[in-house]
Amino acid sequence: MANDVKPTRKNLMEIEDRIDLSERGHDTLEQKRDGLIMEFMDILDQAQDVREQLEADYDTAQDKINKARAMEGDVAVRGAAAALKEHPEITTQSKNIMGVVVPQIESSKVKKNLDERGYGVLGSSARIDEAADAYEELLESIILAAEVETAMKKMLEEIETTKRRVNALEFKLLPELNENKEYIEQKLEEQEREEIFRLKKIKAKKEEEEKEEEEEREAAAKAEAEAIETGVAESDD
Amino acid sequence: MSQEIAVIGSPEFTTGFRLAGVRKCENVPEDEKDDRLDEAVEETLADDGIGIVVMRDEDLDHLSRTVRRDVEGSVEPVLVTLGGGAGSGLREQIKRAIGIDLMDEDE
Repeated sequence: MANDVKPTRKNLMEIEDRIDLSERGHDTLEQKRDGLIMEFMDILDQAQDVREQLEADYDTAQDKINKARAMEGDVAVRGAAAALKEHPEITTQSKNIMGVVVPQIESSKVKKNLDERGYGVLGSSARIDEAADAYEELLESIILAAEVETAMKKMLEEIETTKRRVNALEFKLLPELNENKEYIEQKLEEQEREEIFRLKKIKAKKEEEEKEEEEEREAAAKAEAEAIETGVAESDD
Repeated sequence: MSQEIAVIGSPEFTTGFRLAGVRKCENVPEDEKDDRLDEAVEETLADDGIGIVVMRDEDLDHLSRTVRRDVEGSVEPVLVTLGGGAGSGLREQIKRAIGIDLMDEDE
């Protein structure tokens, strides 16, 4: 608040320095926010493609498993599902986009051969294999979607934070600092005006005193001269 | 550290994923979702060995508000929903951060 600061030249210089720093920070953060939004737009396009592929894969996988259930029976499908030995695994690495750490997910053992599945060739049918294939493809799409959507979430968080900082500087800190600066400048100007007025007053008073002294001196001199004149006239008589 | 994929949902939903080798499956029958789904999601979120959680989009409606917010905002593990577009949570977050509904515009 403006009333909290002392109106001194030192404070004015400090506030001017802070305004300069805040304005530079504001510009940098604005550039960062714009850059992040541009990066985000690229990821958004990619995410929408991945989403479409994911939904298509999900529909295909559901269709395949429903067919397998209808033809082979639910028990056979569940039995085959319970026999799986290899399990998909994911490992996460990270990469940096404008200071935002986003994951890069790598997967292994998602796509499997018929003999790697573990339910045997004779124990299952082609429809169950097709359903398993479709679900393996769906898992690959899910892993890709997870990578892209996590990156989106993280970038959105960073955009939100940067936006809040920019707004705080623009609408809170900078207006307050400018208000303080104006307050100090006004106070200092007022003090200066008071000082000039005071000096003028002192000068006027001094001049008046000098004038009075001069008049007194003149009056005294006049009186003296008159006295001398009177003295000379008396002696002539 | 290698992690696994977890699937939460009805047995019909999880069977297909078991067929693809996913072993961390939380089976919650359709009529018990209102009671048991919150617990299943919380347990999965607390498991460090899980990197991705797969759920059906409409199952999110059975979750309580706090659990839903936690799972939608979670990055580790990350939630991938199926059957309902990009998910309402992400869409809301985009609206909040960018200021416009980009998902709606591009649809």
